[in-house]
Amino acid sequence: MFVPHSEIDLKKMFEELSISSLDDLFTHIPETLKLNDGLNVPPSLSELESISEFELLESKNTQNLICFAGGGHYDVYLPQTVKSLTMRPEFMTSYTPYQAEISQGILQVLFEYQSLICDLTDMELANASLYDGATSVAEAISVAINKTKRDNVVISSGFNPNTKEVVNTLIDNNKFNINYVDLVDYLFPEDYVFSEEDAAFVISLPHYEGSAQDLTSIVQNAKAAGVITICYADPSMLGILKSPGSMGFDIVVSEGQSMGSSLSFGGPTVGWFATRKELARLVPGRIIGESRDSNNTKTYVMTLRAREQDIRREKASSNICTNQTLNAVGSTIHLSWLGPQGLYEIGYQAIQKASYMKQALMNNGFNILNNSTSLREFLIQTKRSSEDIILEMGDKGFLAGIKYSDNEILVAVTEKRTKEQIDNYVQSLMEVDNA
Amino acid sequence: MHSGGNASSLPLVGGAPEPTINQLSKPGRRASRFPKLDVPVTEINNSAIRHDKPTLPEVSEHDLVMHYSRLAHRNFAVDVGFYPLGSCTMKYNPRFADYVAGLNTFANSHPATPSAFTQGNLEVLYELENYLIEITGMDNATFQPPAGASGELTGLLIIKKYLDENNLSNKKDIIVPDSAHGTNPASAKMAGFNVVEVSTDIRGMVNIDDLKGLVNENTAGLMLTNPNTGGLFEENITEISNIIHENGGLVYYDGANLNAIVGVCRPGDMGFDIVHSNLHKTFATPHGGGGPGSGPVAVKSFLKEYLPGPIVNKTNDKYDWYMPKLSIGRMHGYHGNFLVALRALVYMKLLGKEGLDSLGSYAVLNARYLSSIISKVIPLAYNEPCMHEFVATVKDLKKSHKIKAYDVGKALLDKGFHSPTIYFPLIIDEALMFEPTETQTVDTLDDLAETLKVIIDELQGDDVSLESYPKNLPVGRPNELIPAKHLTVNWGDFELLELTE
Repeated sequence: MFVPHSEIDLKKMFEELSISSLDDLFTHIPETLKLNDGLNVPPSLSELESISEFELLESKNTQNLICFAGGGHYDVYLPQTVKSLTMRPEFMTSYTPYQAEISQGILQVLFEYQSLICDLTDMELANASLYDGATSVAEAISVAINKTKRDNVVISSGFNPNTKEVVNTLIDNNKFNINYVDLVDYLFPEDYVFSEEDAAFVISLPHYEGSAQDLTSIVQNAKAAGVITICYADPSMLGILKSPGSMGFDIVVSEGQSMGSSLSFGGPTVGWFATRKELARLVPGRIIGESRDSNNTKTYVMTLRAREQDIRREKASSNICTNQTLNAVGSTIHLSWLGPQGLYEIGYQAIQKASYMKQALMNNGFNILNNSTSLREFLIQTKRSSEDIILEMGDKGFLAGIKYSDNEILVAVTEKRTKEQIDNYVQSLMEVDNA
Repeated sequence: MHSGGNASSLPLVGGAPEPTINQLSKPGRRASRFPKLDVPVTEINNSAIRHDKPTLPEVSEHDLVMHYSRLAHRNFAVDVGFYPLGSCTMKYNPRFADYVAGLNTFANSHPATPSAFTQGNLEVLYELENYLIEITGMDNATFQPPAGASGELTGLLIIKKYLDENNLSNKKDIIVPDSAHGTNPASAKMAGFNVVEVSTDIRGMVNIDDLKGLVNENTAGLMLTNPNTGGLFEENITEISNIIHENGGLVYYDGANLNAIVGVCRPGDMGFDIVHSNLHKTFATPHGGGGPGSGPVAVKSFLKEYLPGPIVNKTNDKYDWYMPKLSIGRMHGYHGNFLVALRALVYMKLLGKEGLDSLGSYAVLNARYLSSIISKVIPLAYNEPCMHEFVATVKDLKKSHKIKAYDVGKALLDKGFHSPTIYFPLIIDEALMFEPTETQTVDTLDDLAETLKVIIDELQGDDVSLESYPKNLPVGRPNELIPAKHLTVNWGDFELLELTE
């Protein structure tokens, strides 16, 4: 399959190599290592046969759950234009653009990607993508540690628990202290006192629980103690929230799924990473720069390459090589499709619909734990086990949210949800929670 | 020349530079439209809300489509031409996988959906795990790592935790060949190990005597790819594994070169304890211009409980997530690059036993054939039978005519081929590393060798300016120094000064 050789081709190749069979290629491999009977796997399928096999497999997932789950990944509308342009084979099947002369397409898209993210976050330099939001948080913490040579990381507890697990895996607990600071009434305490041993301050905008606050004064306090400040921002809310740069942050990272990638069961998505110029040499991953060619024509190239693993080896700023370029292409095209008004509308409609939903839930006796400070995502208190409720809501056609605790569900609303879906959700939740 | 590589028809178009999307922006234009808000408006009071609009381009949908389509025309790709790019396995990516990856709940499942509603997705990962452990000769696998380098780090964190659990925290040395990929030492350092380099012998293989001298009570493990980065099979691999194991270390397989041995032999049978695979290389998922990849890690059963998780478990025909008891933790926010894994499963099923049993053989056949015909044009670095890739060198041409590997690569671009990998492995002077993969025809391989001959002849001409190559592409050779000195990394045209390395 996909091997093109005819018998005539094989004859020609065997003659060139003076061999009579494929086995003759491997006389130098010890016999004891060779697979004599081949692999124990099913027989080959034609494309026609495998269509039904994969459609059957797909049908084993519960179909058409209306999504009220968020936690970093959001059911934002992904336009066909963005999908089809991103999947152009010239982008999708190309290699990393080391050869600039034949890679101007990808290089320019990535330059635009970096620029769009800088504009949106009020930063000066973005890289060409990291794996996802969670790993980007860990990479940002590494930059802060390398910059400050300090050992203490102050991180808000208002993060997706999975993100915390990734940080705990990637930041060596034996060398560095990771201090989680609890939110108070779902907000980060304004009077938190930073120490001069703190390398990084990491906070999510909005918090995982959905509440948001202006972080300017907290960032000021952190920076006064020489701390590198890191904002994990929800990109689909950046049209309506103050930019992290305007609040003074040094580094902005994001889970970029909602801009240009389908939910994809969590991957592939893209991690955004942007910062200020002072930190350029510590930035992980690839960076695209604008240059000129021998005829003085505008030419994009990969730049600041001396940070990267293939040159710097064990002294590299990160081990990252393969990144999430195609998803970054998706972010670029999606942001350009949206424009300022579109990105604003995604955030505005999500918040308006969430407000309506919170009111409807409260009218029906539910307690919203962070009603006044939450925007598009909020916590509902339930009488019954949140796990049971989520399963039973599934039977009614809803992905009800993410379990937050035994009696709390984290619910997210996007611009895609309709009043009718929200009304039906509220009705179903009443039935399920009172069952 | 009449090959599918189409060396004679240049795939890329030139012309004036394409403006940026920002330069195409005009106030008031827009592509996006949304339904009218269907709920009553409430006043939003929150100190984090902004009172102006974000800065983004304003373009029409048609302008947007033309712009990105024109940029696509300026990009080489597997669907456009031949990448003889060593170490990257740029094989054909079956289009059918696009269809499967676009199926509704595969593409659109929220990652926090309970396993009761995502049985199909979990079955995808479970099935793919079975293919992978059979192909690599291991026992269990995780799909958490989103790329090869993340897989390497995963493997090293597993070694670290395993040693800690067995009170062997003194073992801090990871041995890496001097020919290894840069990610190997970078990952080892990230995991908190010391990197110890083992040299390569004259035949191009791990220097066993050197290895014996480096191994001691502090040895935590060895990272190795087999075939190695010179494209040669490490014939003494069993002895190498034994040396490490006898000293209490673990042996890690860098799956970058797995394509050479699929169906031929297995890392698990060579003594490797941990293996990562690059699904975007061996299993034909598209490279996406640099990603996404997927770097699943497979281990022998004694390491199962160290795997990052959750991993998929099957009991009584039901699939569920399982967090290994001694897990190193999580390497990704959710389940790794699920859709990449799905594409790899599509590829495995299409190939099946017939295709997988012969995969490595055909990859090696193409490389061996190409090495044979290219060796008549430029000398090979090693006088050994190559596996799926091989290294040639122009060090003699550099001496005689100042022709560098870089010049040969750039001249090839003009002829419709991607450059081979150059200057890697680092231990070979003026290296050109070729990996044709099994999906190229013999005509395309012939074309490449003939084109190389034409180029080498041309570059040796009297009045040749090497710097003028390539000549027929959208842009010529870039000035690499400008961005390093006056770094323009966004269209705000800001200059990053004082960046002296």
